[in-house]
Parts: sequence; C-alpha cells; structure tokens
Amino acid sequence: MFSLTVLYDPECGLCRRAHDWLAEQAKIVELNFMPCASEEARRRYPQLNHDLTKQDLTLIGDNGAVYFGPKAWLMVLWALTRYRDWSYRLAAPELLPTTKRVVSLISQNRYQISRATGLSR
Amino acid sequence: MTIGISTYLIYLAVSIALTIWVARTLHKNGRVFLVDVFHGNEALADSVNHLLVVGFYLINFGYVSLALKLGYVVTTAEQSIEALSVKVGLVLLVLGGMHFFNLFLFSRMRRRSTRNQPPVSPDAFTPIAPQEA
Repeated sequence: MFSLTVLYDPECGLCRRAHDWLAEQAKIVELNFMPCASEEARRRYPQLNHDLTKQDLTLIGDNGAVYFGPKAWLMVLWALTRYRDWSYRLAAPELLPTTKRVVSLISQNRYQISRATGLSR
Repeated sequence: MTIGISTYLIYLAVSIALTIWVARTLHKNGRVFLVDVFHGNEALADSVNHLLVVGFYLINFGYVSLALKLGYVVTTAEQSIEALSVKVGLVLLVLGGMHFFNLFLFSRMRRRSTRNQPPVSPDAFTPIAPQEA
C-alpha cells in the first residue's frame, strides 16, 4: 500500500486541527485528505456508504481497503514515520479493546470536545 | 613430529571442522528465514545467505588463526590436552557468539519486514473510480 485517503469531517474543529497536524508529520505512506460525503468522495468511491463515513473517521487504501473508526486511527498512526511502532503497540491484543474504547469516545464526542477546547469556529 | 606441532595440527583440524559445521548449519537453516524476509524472493535470499556465511567464515577463521599461538612449550600429552581444551573452548565460544549474532540479524530482518504489514485488517473493500483527467 502506497497511499491512504482520509475521509474526515470538515465540520469538526478537532478534525481540522488533526488534519493540520497530520499534514506536517513525516510519512511512510502518503495521506490524501478528502471531506467525507463530499462530491469528490462520492465520485471516487461510488459504492461506499457515505452516511456511515460521517459518523466516524474512514480511511481507504489505494487497494480499496476500507478502515473505519478505531482501525482508521491506527492506520493513520501506521502511515507516520514517528508513530508506526505505536500503531502496532496499540493494535496488540492486550491494548486493542482500550484503544477502541478511547478512540470511539473521542470520535462520538468530537463536537463537544471541539467546543470545549475552543477549536470549533 | 613434536608434541607441540601435533597440538597445533589437532587444534587447526578441530577448529576448522567446527567452523565449517556451524556455517553449514547456518546456511541450511537460515535460508527459510531469509526467503520469508524477502517475501519469497529466493534469488535475493540465497544471495544474502551466501554473503552472511562468507562473513561468518572470515571472522571465525581469522580468530582461529590469530589464537593459534600457545606462548609456552608443550612437552607432555597432558599439557597438550589442557592447551587444546582452552583453545578449542575459546573457538567454541566465539562460534557460539557469532551464531547467536547471526540469529539476531535474521530475526531483526524478519521483524523489519513485518513492519510493512498494516497493524489491523480492513473492515471492507470498495471499488475505486478512476481519477478524472
């Protein structure tokens, strides 16, 4: 896999901040960003359930592999030079349930977090 | 032939035989690892395997050669056996050390190669429309 497309929520301040941070990081795998459920995303992935991509972070590999929610977060870490080791650690069987819980918690409350931290415009 | 010279000859024979044995074991059993590391590219695996064994031979024969000199005169069979035990014992330790170092290299290469695998399996696959020009 050489590139991953990140379908992010453009309406969430936290996601925009995360996008800015990711853009600066050194990457092993190229990351392309696309607003979720946008015209562009619908054209590129005609058979994807785009309503679902609005609920949680979705990543699509250049081979068509779809990673949703916590798996998508882990794949983002895996793409980064500095955090690839962390992606394996967090995906280890001992940590994966905790990783999933924490990530889901953040994802489901992203608008509240954005508002509380002043990230929403 | 004096007992000193026969001590040297026995030392050389034993050391060389041991080195060849360990190198062959490494060569034969390391191949499977390397084929896996290089994702089934057997030509590359064989090449790296061969290069590793050459290095192994050079270091071990170099040590055997440098450690040949006894530094004292051996006159009795008893002294000869004692001298041999020290010399061959050291060669064995160096061989063991080199062998584990090689195993370490193999396992590290293998770990490196698995780092290319994503940490999680995909949830689904979706077709991608070709990009418009």
